[in-house]
Amino acid sequence: MFIFPKNLFTEVRIERNDYVNYYTANDEVESNNQSQTTGALIRVFDGDMWYSGTTNELGRIQEEIDSLASLAKRNSKIYDHPEIRNFGSHKAHIIKYEGEDDVRKITPCQREELVAHYLAVCVDKSVEEMKSYGGTFYSTHTVKEYYSSKGAAIRQDMQRCSVWVGAAFVVEGVTTWGGKNFQAMSFKQLQGREQEIREELDRYLDYARNAVDILPGNYTCVLSPAATALFTHESFGHKSESDYMLGDKTLREEWVLGKKVGSEKVSICDNGNMEHNGYTPYDDEGNVARETWLIRKGVLTGRLHDSESASALEEEVTGNSRADSYEAIPMVRMTNTYMAAGDDDPEEILQGVRDGIYVYDTLYGTGFSTFTMQPGLCYRIREGRICEPLRVNVITGSVFQTLFDIDAVGNDLEIFDTFYCGKNGQTIQVSAGGPTVRVRKLTFN
Amino acid sequence: MRNLYYMKMMREKYTLRGVISAVGIEENRIRAFNRRNEQYFSFRVLEEGYLGVHFQIGEMGDEEGYARARQNLVLKRPYPFTLETGRRSRDLTQRVLTDKQLLEIAKEALDHVRSRHPDFTLNGGFWQCVSDSGVENDRGLAYSDMDCTTEFRFSFKHRDSRELIDGRFSIGQRDFDAQKLYAMADNYLAGFGTEQKLPDEIIVQMQYYDLLGLLAGSLNAESMCLGTSLLSGRIGEKLFADHFSLAHDVSADECWNTPFFDGEGITRKGDRLSYIENGVVLRGYADKRIAAKYGVEHTGSALRTCSDIPNNGNVNLRIQRSDRTIRGLLNGRLSVVPIRYSGGGFNEKGDWVMPVQLAYLCDGENFLGRLPEFTLVSSMFDMFGKDFIGVGSDNPVFHDKSILVRMRTGKI
Repeated sequence: MFIFPKNLFTEVRIERNDYVNYYTANDEVESNNQSQTTGALIRVFDGDMWYSGTTNELGRIQEEIDSLASLAKRNSKIYDHPEIRNFGSHKAHIIKYEGEDDVRKITPCQREELVAHYLAVCVDKSVEEMKSYGGTFYSTHTVKEYYSSKGAAIRQDMQRCSVWVGAAFVVEGVTTWGGKNFQAMSFKQLQGREQEIREELDRYLDYARNAVDILPGNYTCVLSPAATALFTHESFGHKSESDYMLGDKTLREEWVLGKKVGSEKVSICDNGNMEHNGYTPYDDEGNVARETWLIRKGVLTGRLHDSESASALEEEVTGNSRADSYEAIPMVRMTNTYMAAGDDDPEEILQGVRDGIYVYDTLYGTGFSTFTMQPGLCYRIREGRICEPLRVNVITGSVFQTLFDIDAVGNDLEIFDTFYCGKNGQTIQVSAGGPTVRVRKLTFN
Repeated sequence: MRNLYYMKMMREKYTLRGVISAVGIEENRIRAFNRRNEQYFSFRVLEEGYLGVHFQIGEMGDEEGYARARQNLVLKRPYPFTLETGRRSRDLTQRVLTDKQLLEIAKEALDHVRSRHPDFTLNGGFWQCVSDSGVENDRGLAYSDMDCTTEFRFSFKHRDSRELIDGRFSIGQRDFDAQKLYAMADNYLAGFGTEQKLPDEIIVQMQYYDLLGLLAGSLNAESMCLGTSLLSGRIGEKLFADHFSLAHDVSADECWNTPFFDGEGITRKGDRLSYIENGVVLRGYADKRIAAKYGVEHTGSALRTCSDIPNNGNVNLRIQRSDRTIRGLLNGRLSVVPIRYSGGGFNEKGDWVMPVQLAYLCDGENFLGRLPEFTLVSSMFDMFGKDFIGVGSDNPVFHDKSILVRMRTGKI
């Protein structure tokens, strides 16, 4: 297919994307568009430097390969390079989404009717405080191809579609936006969600009417499965991305495998094979996804790798090299990351808190040693019961301490597919999951 | 207003061409060279009050592009407005580096900083972006805007630190001057080894872009009219400090690969429009559609939406500078410069909380040492109201504008 230059490692990654975006607000269509993009990234490695370029004209890939190769120094031992030894050489054809569930077959009429239906039956326009409402439909379908001078030839696809229905409630000049966002792999899975949407809108209306400002401080808290999902991603997931510790002696000693890093109730896993938002059967270096247990019963047991980090740390690749588009260079990223279910009953977890905070959901977070979560909705817990909604701006904790402070892990694991993760300027789709957990101390502001 | 050409098909094309070249630095060594050629086109066909749009990445001839845009008229995107006219070209390019020069400069700079600060691991890179934006239409509109900018970015980590990274700094220039990068590196890295205490009075010094997010959203004319903005019903009121003025500004000094025209081909006199003057809210921003829908002033604020009709929201907001320098505004006091902060932000009431993982104590220009972790607390109305000190006339620390504002500390 391509003529790869001798004595250099070369790879070609081609992507074809189909996007649809439909948005209506206050009964007026704000966006209604569909577009396609095609592009390729070409990379050449000579054992010292990577040279890369992009093109949107697939007929020019060979020209780009030759141009980049002219910048590199030929290296007759390139395939003995430890990093290149870790690149995949698989041949695979995993096309799952070209049948009747192909999101590209959803008609404009179908998506508009779905959003209109949810708005008609879920949004109560008689609510005095509601000043705006809207709904969106979004879908993407991606076909990726990967070819390398090691012989890799992979073709795989992925698709997602999502719906959001929300409203703005204004109470005493303060606007609360709230709603339900759900994502699925097929159009059918987006249907029949009326009850979830109604409940979520009611919950946000209650928050808008009754939320009180939190008194900043440290609190025992119970995280819902959705909050645990973000907590897992931010509190530990990012620390497992081993490209941060390539030549760093301090971090290697801090995160040595076998070290106790949390409560025995805590186990965390990443798995790109799960058909969720981070589904990546082959990563962007042609390596196959696998289940990687990062923590088992509180002990550090694994970390996430691309070819470079695996060679630097002399560990195995895990299929976690991902780029957010054909224009981007891959790096170590999470895929579908979750805290495993425990044995505790969620009701009993809540009942074990006399005075604390229930975190119902979260908006976003960050994952350094001090990790952060910005909550959507929080509630006061008194005598084991959920009470009034609280207005909380940010929750913080220490990765070195918080995993030890988990004293209950529920049996109600859920995976959430609406996560996007940012790192070094790239934003990638991931899923995150977890059960209800109780943490003895987190800081609320 | 119904346009005069309502019955006649009109065509318009937005173009963005960019060449982004980047040298990647990883773990103290030059690791990669990347070159990206971008060509984005938005073909628009206006017919019978509807706009058909085709978004194209990569080359496409006008005939095919407009034909595809015409096919998309089926989506019935209403656009009952007149296309603009005008001719102007602006070229802000000062110097364009070759790939070889980029690699040489990056290597020399890395060697220099490494030799002076061997205890740090450096990651980052050296980018150059050459951009050429344009719009043309059947009414004779022909605007083009060219720029070339460089940015050197470093993230740094001390060898004994347990953090993934300790901090970041970057310098953007149109004509790259290595000495300015070296001075910045010395300030950030030499200051790390000294520990300081948080002063009693917290005067935060930072680039202000992160602080403007909620205010920018609140000035959206549609939100103001719907009642969902914190500024709804407040036009004409004095809500901020006497010396706080805010304007959309796409003049040469305030642009960074940003064209002087909006997504509907609108320009402003002097490339500038005030939104808040001496603390008084003057107006919200609106594109043609929002202005017509709500009967408000049209401010030329359309985004260059490539795949649909224009959307409201194109503002490049700048706070008016003081005539005093940062040190002059500090008047002998010390400032606190957040370097690595994340996770917080504004809530719906306008309150702002930000956990700060790394900050330096500063005399306005020079870092005096690093501070322990803390949390900053303020609100949109306080930071641009009673606690607003000013934006300096000079560009210390960031090689860019910085704001001085009093804040409180929260729980850590």
